[in-house]
Amino acid sequence: MGLVSAVSGNRLPGVLVRRAAQGVGVALVVSALCFVVVRALPGDAAYRIAAGRYGYDLVDAAAADAVRAELGLDRPAWQQYAEWVLALFRLDLGESLVTSRPVVDELGLYLVGTLQLSVLALALAALIGGGLGVVAARRPDGAVDRLVTGWIAAVRALPPFLLGLLLVLLLSIQLGWLPAVGHEGAASIVLPALTLGIGLSGLFARVTRDAVVEVRRSDYVRFAATKGLSGRVVLLRHVLRNTGVVLVPYLGVQAVTLVEGVVVVESLFAWPGLGHALVHAVFWRDVPVLQASALVLALLVVALNTLVDVTVLWLDPRPRGRRAVA
Amino acid sequence: MTTLDIHHVRVTHRGTPLVEVSDLSLEAGRAFTIVGESGSGKSLLAHAVMGTLAAGLAVEGAMSLDGRRIDLADPGNRRALWGRELALLPQEPASALDPTMRVGAQVAEGMLEQTPRRERLALAEAALAGVGLAGRGRDYPHTLSGGMAQRVTYAAATIGGARVLLLDEPSKGLDRRAVDQLGDLLDRHLADGGLLLTITHDLRLASRLGGTVAVMREAAIIESGPVDRVLGDPQADYTRRLVGADPARWDRPWQRAGVVPERSAPPLVVATDVGKSYGDAVVLDAVSLEVGAGERVALVGPSGSGKTTLGNALLRLVPVDRGTVTHAAELSGGRVQKLYQDPALSFPAHVPLGAGIGDVARRHGVDPGRVDELLVAMGLAPELMQRRPGQVSGGELQRIAVVRAMLPAPALVFADEATSRLDLLTQELTVDCLMTELAARDCALLMITHDEALAEAVADRRIALGKAGSREKTAVPS
Repeated sequence: MGLVSAVSGNRLPGVLVRRAAQGVGVALVVSALCFVVVRALPGDAAYRIAAGRYGYDLVDAAAADAVRAELGLDRPAWQQYAEWVLALFRLDLGESLVTSRPVVDELGLYLVGTLQLSVLALALAALIGGGLGVVAARRPDGAVDRLVTGWIAAVRALPPFLLGLLLVLLLSIQLGWLPAVGHEGAASIVLPALTLGIGLSGLFARVTRDAVVEVRRSDYVRFAATKGLSGRVVLLRHVLRNTGVVLVPYLGVQAVTLVEGVVVVESLFAWPGLGHALVHAVFWRDVPVLQASALVLALLVVALNTLVDVTVLWLDPRPRGRRAVA
Repeated sequence: MTTLDIHHVRVTHRGTPLVEVSDLSLEAGRAFTIVGESGSGKSLLAHAVMGTLAAGLAVEGAMSLDGRRIDLADPGNRRALWGRELALLPQEPASALDPTMRVGAQVAEGMLEQTPRRERLALAEAALAGVGLAGRGRDYPHTLSGGMAQRVTYAAATIGGARVLLLDEPSKGLDRRAVDQLGDLLDRHLADGGLLLTITHDLRLASRLGGTVAVMREAAIIESGPVDRVLGDPQADYTRRLVGADPARWDRPWQRAGVVPERSAPPLVVATDVGKSYGDAVVLDAVSLEVGAGERVALVGPSGSGKTTLGNALLRLVPVDRGTVTHAAELSGGRVQKLYQDPALSFPAHVPLGAGIGDVARRHGVDPGRVDELLVAMGLAPELMQRRPGQVSGGELQRIAVVRAMLPAPALVFADEATSRLDLLTQELTVDCLMTELAARDCALLMITHDEALAEAVADRRIALGKAGSREKTAVPS
């Protein structure tokens, strides 16, 4: 192997260490924030938890007091937080305050659900957005480019819940092709994934289009053509990878939008995932579940960005982070 | 015997003729070189032949390759010839290589459709060895110098067996040694019975290639013939000026051949035992030097010898690993200025030039009248200030960069290959403008160049950097 592969081999541990440190930092900040926010919410947490356990009709002040005493909710906040962080080091996420089951067990299921949904949504976004971007770039400012710009504006302007409802109206109610909600069979993932994917595809298309236009204008693409390569070969061998160098880091930026979308879309379609769990945990003041699902979502963003970094290292051999003084 | 005859080429943009050339013939084994200033249409002529002109330019005319007649108006009809019969060696070899692909694979691509992969890569290795880059096939472009990148593009362009090779400004940004190596490759191409059409502003390259030279100006060829005759005994007035623009022949009031004024003032910049590495590569090794007030110092040396790094270290634009760089008090507050090799990179692409210059003038409290004065002194029309950097020529933009550099009343200007991309006449004008200003205000100059004649004409002394990035010797007053 030449010098360069040795260099990129050397850069990999640096990236992993940096991202791991970021993961730890994010975990601490996110969990602390959750803690503070839950305490700041109006209403008596013990009362809400008791309601979650026994139902609203059966809750009285005594039940709430019992919950409070059992869970130690009257201790100082920092003690409760410190306890939670210490437990986290033992990989113990505690038990749900509502169901009393270990959070880890519940979360595993939700994580799988969210991963299925996000991977499919990202794949759809890349397929729809990337495809539209490449087509639009064939003739900048042409009719197709303008249509794609219209598409981008439309999907960006639609909030996920509205887009989701529109898709339900069209695909389940009008056409009856897909189930509207739930988690039964492979078909039930299509609507939530489509809602997320279409939402993300707008900016994907924009970035792809601009990157492809720029790469196609580059000297190396022109030179590749005059070497005698056909347009298709130039696209496959040069345009796509160099577009990827621009596009893949963009995926990392989109990760945050994805998580945001996951929360809304999972709730909308009752898809059993982390976002769904998060919303319910907020509602029932189930702090351990809330903390854990926020934590896993945050770490998911870090993991996705790590994946992006590693992919870019593989795609682009040039050293980065060194400021060039031309 | 292969021949290429070009008949009545006319390239127009919205009716304005950019190229009008009646007839020229290329013979196998004999170089044909077109020289002239930027904007004379010489590059457009090469691209009209290749079929790679930008959309929006209309072409008329025809060429015949071995008796086959090819209509130049239809760019598509040459696509099938690319790489097999017609090859183009692009400008800026470093950007003509895909940064994400190993160079061996990029060379091998030239025969993608004819040959299986394994054989292709072996042929590419052989082609790289043929240009002096044996065993470099697995390298990525960013690890190559400009000269090496150009030899890779040469191997990639010619591997398909094209006999007609077109070169568009091949010497741009390359040092002398790299241009000589390219010359050797082109000699070999000619000796093998190839046809060669070279577009260049480098008269030395033209002389070296021999054969026929044509001088182009304002879309037309004004003089042509054997290279010795045209460049040795030019008939046209313009050709005479072009030949006279060689720095070795300059005679300007600001030149002070060997007569360096004595100074008692402390030096502006003192560098002591400066060392700098990028990763494992040592770029500078224990370099010490001083630049005095009003002094003109040239840093010379082959590509990769650390000239730019040293210059940037002296300006404190890059931190050094070892040693110290100290600046005299009179350099504070923007009184050190840098001129870049590619001026387009030193201007924001979408801001009108006047806005950027105006900001600098306001920041340094310069009277707006002074900007106009400088523009006039540089031979620039004030209307240019309404345009964007992409809408003026490279020579104009570099002179605008000089105007900008002069506004803070600098005590030291660092010119990093500031004229190496300009043709000779434009270089002469730009250097003249710069040096007249510097002489008038007794400003010091630190210049990087690979052009010995230019260093000789401008600098009081030269500092040569060796291959290892250490200082070889100091030529005291040249």
